[in-house]
Amino acid sequence: MTNAIQLQHVTAKYREHPVLQNLSLTIKAGEMVGILGPNGAGKSTLFNVVSGLLSPASGTVKLFDADLRRMPPRERARAIAVVPQELDIPVPYTVSEIVMMGRTVSIGRFSSPTAQDRQAVERAMVYTDVADIRDRPLNELSGGERQRAIVAMVLAQEPRIILMDEATSHLDINHRLEIMQLVERLNREEGVTVMLISHDLQMAAEFSRRLIVLDHGQIVADGEPGAVLTEETLRRVYHCDVRVCQDPKTGGLSILAAPRLPAAGTGKGIHIHAVAGGGCGEATLRRLALCGYTLSCGVVSRGDMDAEVGAVLGVDLALEKPFSPISREALHTANEMATKADALILTPIPFGSGNLANLELLDQALAAGKPVFIAAGIEERDFTHTRQAEQAIRALLLHGAIPYRDVAELLTLLPTHSGRS
Amino acid sequence: MHKSRNFWLVMGLTPIILMLCVMMGSSGIGLPDITTEREILMLRLTRVLCGLIIGAALSSAGVVFQAVLRNPLAEPYILGVSSGAGLGAAIAIVSGISAISAAILPLCAFIMAIITLAIVYGLSHNGSSPSIYGLILSGVIVSAICSSLLMFMVSVSSIEGMHSILWWMLGNLEVSSYNVLIIIGVIVTAGCIGLWTLSRELNALTLGHQMAHHLGIRVKVTIIIALLLATLVASAAVGVAGLIGFVGLIVPHIMRNLVGADHRRLIPAAAIGGGAFLAACDALARTVLAVEIPVGVITALLGGPFFIFLLKRRRTQNWLE
Repeated sequence: MTNAIQLQHVTAKYREHPVLQNLSLTIKAGEMVGILGPNGAGKSTLFNVVSGLLSPASGTVKLFDADLRRMPPRERARAIAVVPQELDIPVPYTVSEIVMMGRTVSIGRFSSPTAQDRQAVERAMVYTDVADIRDRPLNELSGGERQRAIVAMVLAQEPRIILMDEATSHLDINHRLEIMQLVERLNREEGVTVMLISHDLQMAAEFSRRLIVLDHGQIVADGEPGAVLTEETLRRVYHCDVRVCQDPKTGGLSILAAPRLPAAGTGKGIHIHAVAGGGCGEATLRRLALCGYTLSCGVVSRGDMDAEVGAVLGVDLALEKPFSPISREALHTANEMATKADALILTPIPFGSGNLANLELLDQALAAGKPVFIAAGIEERDFTHTRQAEQAIRALLLHGAIPYRDVAELLTLLPTHSGRS
Repeated sequence: MHKSRNFWLVMGLTPIILMLCVMMGSSGIGLPDITTEREILMLRLTRVLCGLIIGAALSSAGVVFQAVLRNPLAEPYILGVSSGAGLGAAIAIVSGISAISAAILPLCAFIMAIITLAIVYGLSHNGSSPSIYGLILSGVIVSAICSSLLMFMVSVSSIEGMHSILWWMLGNLEVSSYNVLIIIGVIVTAGCIGLWTLSRELNALTLGHQMAHHLGIRVKVTIIIALLLATLVASAAVGVAGLIGFVGLIVPHIMRNLVGADHRRLIPAAAIGGGAFLAACDALARTVLAVEIPVGVITALLGGPFFIFLLKRRRTQNWLE
């Protein structure tokens, strides 16, 4: 089978900011491919590169084995068309006028539309069910009707590849299905290659036979929906917990966001001491407070964002003067708090020589047999000259401290009220 | 379909309106006698013909600016293109180089108009397509600068020249020679036909630059050609008739309502209808008072309120029809 779209080592930039990085990708004619990924993953940039709106900084893009850069606009429009998410049309064109615009390159400059043009327009309008409203101006139509008219315009263009950039996200579920079924029919019956971006994972899984997941401008997964939409991939890419279930009746996949917060009383009666600072611990403190944990925090500088948030949340604080290294007195106060705590956590804070002393708390707790949880990624937050913090934390981990990636994971590790009783 | 009926209605009514315009004048209502009042008849005929040409130029330029900039309030006068052209024309007149050839004046007007448009566009541009208020504001600022330069030239020129320049600045359809009229007629006709051949590109461009690209248009080239042609016809008009405002705003909007937004129909309808509109305004200017008033005063009196109406309506509606 021929290659409809071929990207070879494509790097694309927006204002010197790289969005796609050395991306290679081949889509065969007749495929229906869903592109997934979080915001900013490079999905739209990929579309802009494939449709010729953005020239890649390096690498080549080929449509049906022809170099996109050397393709005249007229040829390109016959090969590829784009259904945008929304089209702001400031002029009151009627539906049939808009659909006729799909024929822009087939109608000569000095001639009027031929029978073939009219036939293509007519067919597109029947397909998308807008033939009845052909004389109504677009700005009087509902969102669904308007989007159908735009799909009709793209159909009238008779392209061999259709890109759909979240083309159905503004539509209600009924029209969304209608348009997707229409596109699927074009794909199956006429062999039109379809590439679609969607934030609706379930719909993408249902209609695409191949899914590609982008993250940070690179492909992180590529394959059949069942193989790509795994809980692990999604968690890694979207940074949230999801559950992927198969509908026993239809075999379709359904993706559910797993409940992220444990019940409000989970932490009741359990005392956690947190090492925070620099505003990096406030999210953790807030989340733990919501779950009902009794909290203490320190040593932290007075006026620090974490200290202020802690004060509001009723957290016991061991404070130090701003911009000064941790004193023995402050560390002593914190240590008293820590001895009473059931567990200690180290939030993802940066370390310098000034707050290194805080790590002693964790060491002592570990020696006392208390669970200690440490946010992963110290390598990027150690600003001490001799990487002392990194070394100390390595030692802690060796002695049984437990690493965690994010608050969601931390919550699954911490001791709970029910677990205790 | 009513749109195509309206199109032929505009085309059919225009000769009748022009005829009526010929019958109106300060020397009395009615068709001047071809034998005894030949002078008056010729005078009125050139006035009406001039109105037709200038009106067509300003209206089709308005249509094109609105499509390319995707902005309902874009118009040669509001964009400052007219003031720029006016300044160019004044430079040509005051410096005396306009006396060399009848083509010099439109040329100077064109060059200055292009410079002004580039400045206005550059000022209001912030990466994507320029914002509506950005365009209006920079248009006003650049217009003001051009006007004060014009004022400066008026103040240093001789006293006799002052009245004629002031009169010209307010806009009027008196032509100095048939030669000028012919040159302007040729430029405007060619320009309008050129713009009309860009109809399908203009249609696609109103859907946005990206969509036009997807539909197979060479976006940058088309925009440059369309803006150059529109500026050419607008500045030719200004060079002859002075600052006649708002024609490029009123006529395109009315025509869009009548014949639809498809440029294949809109450009000829706006050109012809705009010609009839300006000729009619001029006929009014010649007859309502005992003294003749500049036609620019009439169009501004009609256009100002229309502009405010459009601006207010913009808040509740996407575009203005």
